[in-house]
Amino acid sequence: MRNLRFALKQEGHSRRDMFEILTRYAFPLAHSLPLFAFLNEEKFNVDGWTVYNPVEEYRRQGLPNHHWRITFINKCYELCDTYPALLVVPYRASDDDLRRVATFRSRNRIPVLSWIHPENKTVIVRCSQPLVGMSGKRNKDDEKYLDVIRETNKQISKLTIYDARPSVNAVANKATGGGYESDDAYHNAELFFLDIHNIHVMRESLKKVKDIVYPNVEESHWLSSLESTHWLEHIKLVLTGAIQVADKVSSGKSSVLVHCSDGWDRTAQLTSLAMLMLDSFYRSIEGFEILVQKEWISFGHKFASRIGHGDKNHTDADRSPIFLQFIDCVWQMSKQFPTAFEFNEQFLIIILDHLYSCRFGTFLFNCESARERQKVTERTVSLWSLINSNKEKFKNPFYTKEINRVLYPVASMRHLELWVNYYIRWNPRIKQQQPNPVEQRYMELLALRDEYIKRLEELQLANSAKLSDPPTSPSSPSQMMPHVQTHF
Amino acid sequence: MFSLKPPKPTFRSYLLPPPQTDDKINSEPKIKKLEPVLLPGEIVVNEVNFVRKCIATDTSQYDLWGKLICSNFKISFITDDPMPLQKFHYRNLLLGEHDVPLTCIEQIVTVNDHKRKQKVLGPNQKLKFNPTELIIYCKDFRIVRFRFDESGPESAKKVCLAIAHYSQPTDLQLLFAFEYVGKKYHNSANKINGIPSGDGGGGGGGGNGAGGGSSQKTPLFETYSDWDREIKRTGASGWRVCSINEGYMISTCLPEYIVVPSSLADQDLKIFSHSFVGRRMPLWCWSHSNGSALVRMALIKDVLQQRKIDQRICNAITKSHPQRSDVYKSDLDKTLPNIQEVQAAFVKLKQLCVNEPFEETEEKWLSSLENTRWLEYVRAFLKHSAELVYMLESKHLSVVLQEEEGRDLSCCVASLVQVMLDPYFRTITGFQSLIQKEWVMAGYQFLDRCNHLKRSEKESPLFLLFLDATWQLLEQYPAAFEFSETYLAVLYDSTRISLFGTFLFNSPHQRVKQSTKSYSSTLRGMPSALKNGIISDQELLPRRNSLILKPKPDPAQQTDSQNSDTEQYFREWFSKPANLHGVILPRVSGTHIKLWKLCYFRWVPEAQISLGGSITAFHKLSLLADEVDVLSRMLRQQRSGPLEACYGELGQSRMYFNASGPHHTDTSGTPEFLSSSFPFSPVGNLCRRSILGTPLSKFLSGAKIWLSTETLANED
Repeated sequence: MRNLRFALKQEGHSRRDMFEILTRYAFPLAHSLPLFAFLNEEKFNVDGWTVYNPVEEYRRQGLPNHHWRITFINKCYELCDTYPALLVVPYRASDDDLRRVATFRSRNRIPVLSWIHPENKTVIVRCSQPLVGMSGKRNKDDEKYLDVIRETNKQISKLTIYDARPSVNAVANKATGGGYESDDAYHNAELFFLDIHNIHVMRESLKKVKDIVYPNVEESHWLSSLESTHWLEHIKLVLTGAIQVADKVSSGKSSVLVHCSDGWDRTAQLTSLAMLMLDSFYRSIEGFEILVQKEWISFGHKFASRIGHGDKNHTDADRSPIFLQFIDCVWQMSKQFPTAFEFNEQFLIIILDHLYSCRFGTFLFNCESARERQKVTERTVSLWSLINSNKEKFKNPFYTKEINRVLYPVASMRHLELWVNYYIRWNPRIKQQQPNPVEQRYMELLALRDEYIKRLEELQLANSAKLSDPPTSPSSPSQMMPHVQTHF
Repeated sequence: MFSLKPPKPTFRSYLLPPPQTDDKINSEPKIKKLEPVLLPGEIVVNEVNFVRKCIATDTSQYDLWGKLICSNFKISFITDDPMPLQKFHYRNLLLGEHDVPLTCIEQIVTVNDHKRKQKVLGPNQKLKFNPTELIIYCKDFRIVRFRFDESGPESAKKVCLAIAHYSQPTDLQLLFAFEYVGKKYHNSANKINGIPSGDGGGGGGGGNGAGGGSSQKTPLFETYSDWDREIKRTGASGWRVCSINEGYMISTCLPEYIVVPSSLADQDLKIFSHSFVGRRMPLWCWSHSNGSALVRMALIKDVLQQRKIDQRICNAITKSHPQRSDVYKSDLDKTLPNIQEVQAAFVKLKQLCVNEPFEETEEKWLSSLENTRWLEYVRAFLKHSAELVYMLESKHLSVVLQEEEGRDLSCCVASLVQVMLDPYFRTITGFQSLIQKEWVMAGYQFLDRCNHLKRSEKESPLFLLFLDATWQLLEQYPAAFEFSETYLAVLYDSTRISLFGTFLFNSPHQRVKQSTKSYSSTLRGMPSALKNGIISDQELLPRRNSLILKPKPDPAQQTDSQNSDTEQYFREWFSKPANLHGVILPRVSGTHIKLWKLCYFRWVPEAQISLGGSITAFHKLSLLADEVDVLSRMLRQQRSGPLEACYGELGQSRMYFNASGPHHTDTSGTPEFLSSSFPFSPVGNLCRRSILGTPLSKFLSGAKIWLSTETLANED
């Protein structure tokens, strides 16, 4: 968050040209120019486009199984043009069922599986709102479909539905044909509203954050100014929602259906954060890339509209920092669990930097079908190529790989913090110590350990060469070494 | 983890203990084990059986059954029930899990549910009802609750009255520290955290912070030589130790030995002393290597003499400066919040952190925190101290701290300036000697400010504010300190355990006077552990910060931009990487001054991040540091010939966690006992009354308790 101001010394001719060139290249789409990603000829020794392969990812989750199948019904994006080609749906729902359900879901975004619990087999399913409307329409196929999803889990007799919106917004959506699952239509479901506000509220909130940190950091009443932006409060609600989803699946042993209005903003935040809490795989560098690729990019979070790549219309009401908010939530989690993530803060920052940069094709366009039409994977470089060819830079030294540990962050204002290293990084006075001294010390010690082990081995070699008698005593170096290593 | 419900024995299980099969060593009946662990000199005053200790606010299913005793030192709850929801491997050496030292009690509330009565118990008060519940509000933010539903009503009442009586003594002599006469510290006097210290006195005064710190003996500044060594250590050439206050002949709130400008004669000082408030002559604190001195001084009350004496003193300080630099005077009373304001902020902070319902304070948390003004005050002290660092370091000016009595704000500012300027004070030994020098010996009124006798209107948490400000520096420069934040928290706790003399008195003179009454020897003849509680083995945990780098022998002063202004000085300083062996300056913008969560949230169950918090990274760091330590030892032994049992030394590891400790056999994961509260635990330590209770319990759980005791006390 910064504004740049340049002063040109030469009077006269060059200023106007400069301005025009700047606007042309800053907003190429408005001037029928290609985005830089299509001109970028960088070469990396790793191809980031191969990171995410949906079939492989679902196989990792143990899918298909006898309750869930992989369908190619959306291969040509005919069922739903903002969904990926490959979907996981209940085994007992036929393709025809899916088509009928699609008519009752906003933009045909039907409930499909995002994640399945490896042990209790409960699932997280995502979709858009049902098209209930003012008249309270019902759709037998949709009701049946949700029941089929519920039945894949034998442990709990109810399906839990999390509507990410505040209940008033959900009701208001009926006026435009939307709505939510009512009790009488969906007997076997329990619905909860998560009170997360819409894209416009988030955009205004972030604007206020900018106002208090740029150009000057609000000094006298920092905390109350921060509170008045409501940014952390929104973060808290998103995290609280995700915790509820994760807890329901993990401890509540209930399958969960998540939606908001269209199922591409708040829904993506909730499913991806819940998956991050539940599945330690997503806390590795590649796992996180897969998570972003899957829940955000392939499921049609409208990056082009939300960011406005190359577009000059900066007041566009479609713009909103939803993905940034998600990354902020991830950062909050990594602060609370410093050993749980393979990646460091720099990793999150570089993702955000290239969310806006258009240097890579990763975040371009609104959905998979558009990307395919533009041949993004052939014509541009993936951000993950840059990151994965330089992984060491983005690694958290404290990372401890733990399987099956569910992370429950404390979503309390007492622990949430403004991400100073990101939001206020352009202010020289606020700059934190880089690199983090604790991390630095750890790296030093790691190096020291390796050096000691090496020197020890050398010494032992030299000693055993000197010793003429065979090493029989318990103090034999060759016996000591493996013993030492077992300690660590 | 929360679904694991431990087996809950009823109180009857004490009468008929279940047969134990696995426990072969302890074959006696369980009831025998319900004996309090007592310190030497500690006696049980009263006790009651079949007491329930409340663990959770909203349910009684985790409650523990046991015996509640009141001794002349602590309240102790003895139980055989395992602690629910908690797997701790660490234990405080002095206090059990359910113990509260009497001096830590803030308020005692007795309740009778049936009669709907409650009373705040003062000393020597009567109680007209039999209590069904006892709530102890502690000074360290804990709230402990006991229920007497199954206990004898009379004995319950007696214990409550005993606690009220013994926790609010009328005289200093009644504090337990005067009874605490054991062999314990005689044996451990030369041991710190179980590690035999090297040579006691000699090595301590050596180089500028050289050496490992805790193996040195902390200078107490009670002797001539301690001050003399400090002069030599800082290279203060124009200063001398003055003995005119020997036997406290001049002032009872100054140390017996003080350091003064060499050009001032004893006779002059004696005359001047009459003009100062409390006869507190100027006290030298510290000298910069450029010769600028830090001096603290009380006001000159004699108006006629004021200018003359002030002039004489300032001239003398100037004369002691190698460059004859001017003196910069800082009037702390005018620039900083006073002790009442600090106390008010602290009360609000405590209210906000532990007493109010967690969820209800969430929405307005940030502005409520701001409204306590606590962080604002921490910031003010840091900022002002940093400005004085600029005067000393960059402008080469000697600084005089002025305050009416010179024994409150001056303690805090003088200490902070030295922590920022001198890396020695960032070692454990150095930090402790700083507390001796600027607080204990300089006459900070611990007795009144900590309110040990619970009748003082002069309570103020200035010492905590200093620890908090130090924590801010530690947070910003973690590698610049030898100690960790746990050390600071334990230091804060030890001001409320009346075992050691360190934080018990209002002045060094009072300490000597009081001590001679109960001991035949003088204070100086006392075992060191009593004099200086902070370095004895109070806790099992070595509180070392494994981040510390080996201090360089010469903290060279590279910055020599004498004529820059404050703004520029700070800008330049922050633009360069910090030299951790030199000056460290705090960043004081709103985004940098943070709430010390470990200290203020450690008892709050809702705020606990289980298996998380910065401790998890610290844990890994400690394991690695320990491993490197073992390797380097092996390497040394390899070089010096045959290998000896290097594992035998492992027990001496000074790290927080051992790489090969019995509890860390599997180091691949985060140990279950780690949480953001570690090494403390909120379990059973913050039992607020349920919000969903009777009107009475609502009243008790609410904010009113801590603020308006009068209204409560009148109802009985």
